[in-house]
Amino acid sequence: MTRELIYTLLGDAFFAAVAALGFAVISNPPKRAILISALLAAVGHALRFYLMTHTSLNLPTASFFAAFTIGMFSMLAAKLIHCPAEIFSFPSLLPMIPGMYAYKTILSLLRFMEAKTPQLQQQLVVDIFQNGLTSLFVMFALVIGVSLPLFLFHKQSFMMTRLLKPVGKVRQRKWGRHKDAR
Amino acid sequence: MENCARCRRPVAAQPEGQARGEGASVLLNREQRAYVQRVYDGPLCEACLQEIQKAVQPVTVRDLSNFLLDYATTLMGAGVHTSRVVRNVNRIAGSFGYETEMTIFQRHITLHILQNQDDSVRRTSLRAIPAAAFNFEIISNLSTLSWQAHDNRLTLYELREQFNAIVTRPRISRWWVLGLVSLANAAFCRLFGGDFWAMGLVCVATFVGFLIRQEMSLRRINHLAVFIVSAFVASMIASLGVWASLGDTPQTALGTSVLFLIPGVPLINSIIDLLEGYVLIGISRAVNALTLIICISLGLSATLLILGTYAL
Repeated sequence: MTRELIYTLLGDAFFAAVAALGFAVISNPPKRAILISALLAAVGHALRFYLMTHTSLNLPTASFFAAFTIGMFSMLAAKLIHCPAEIFSFPSLLPMIPGMYAYKTILSLLRFMEAKTPQLQQQLVVDIFQNGLTSLFVMFALVIGVSLPLFLFHKQSFMMTRLLKPVGKVRQRKWGRHKDAR
Repeated sequence: MENCARCRRPVAAQPEGQARGEGASVLLNREQRAYVQRVYDGPLCEACLQEIQKAVQPVTVRDLSNFLLDYATTLMGAGVHTSRVVRNVNRIAGSFGYETEMTIFQRHITLHILQNQDDSVRRTSLRAIPAAAFNFEIISNLSTLSWQAHDNRLTLYELREQFNAIVTRPRISRWWVLGLVSLANAAFCRLFGGDFWAMGLVCVATFVGFLIRQEMSLRRINHLAVFIVSAFVASMIASLGVWASLGDTPQTALGTSVLFLIPGVPLINSIIDLLEGYVLIGISRAVNALTLIICISLGLSATLLILGTYAL
């Protein structure tokens, strides 16, 4: 790794963190979660940038690995500060949401209706599919990547907000399911 | 002379047992005594004890079902994926010895609740989901509350108290949000390769666009109109860069100026719901998000029309 690459990656991480922080506060997260989501976004976005510029991975695949990394770290953070993991993992995905591809799809659709020549129409059909499929695949890659850790640690993932540790028999369900009583 | 632990009024010295609800004046049952012990650590005055005696009652299916619907609709309005609502509601109902089945749509929740030991005690009710702004703090705190209900066997009265405290908490100041969103979109412009001119333009455009969105939302204007107008205004301001050819990347400024409006959280939730098998609500959320994206494009295309360019 050269020094320039490290600087580029750090810059990318910094701006991704600022972006995630700003987009996160729209949905009013708990204050202790804001910085963590910015940190996760920095890691995820810098990783995606590296994968796309220095390996042969394309945008959806790189997004998948970045989101998976965010998901793993968010499980760890959730365990530490007792929040559901999605409270920080969702905001940290926001800088990677393919918003520009999404609205370019719609813009191409709008232009297609007024296109006169077949050449332009062909070009626009390609644009529509290119942008539309990219946004679809990136969205799915992001969500599958970030929720894969949740499925891997299924039981733990829903207990992150639990303050108490479950202790033995005392706290077992008093009311079992009484199927016979029906 | 000590003060009442609940209302802070001075309370006359009482025999030792009074603080635990064993005073001669107000007789509390076991559940009420457990509540007093858990929540207050000092003596209580007689008026407070009477209030507690009245409020902390054995749970009825009607009260529980009303509370769970409040809980579920608030959670859905706060922007959570469906499976968490179902799990949390089941967890709370389970701590009272009930089980639930839910049907969740975009606008309504149907909740069927049934006592474990006596299936003649049951109730089905329907509640509309109020339109609310996303609030992750509520999601986090309400999830914690559901585990507290499960682990500590909280009474319904305590659940109500804590629920009301959680939902009435103030949001982050709108001016902080406005400033941070402007910076965020400028940083986002940088990620797309914009130079400092572009970043400045996007920052100003986002500031004005988001301010308009906030003001119009406060006046309860149709949210689709809000999106079209904010996208139009934000992109018009950013288009000044193209018009005056400021810096090397005015096109990037124009392209990223509307990205603060992209409904990211609904998109993520819709795909999670689709993957977890809540297909109907997943599609509803996707359609809603898509409608918003179409509105953004309409606002942006109006700007492009005025500029007379298609290049982005």
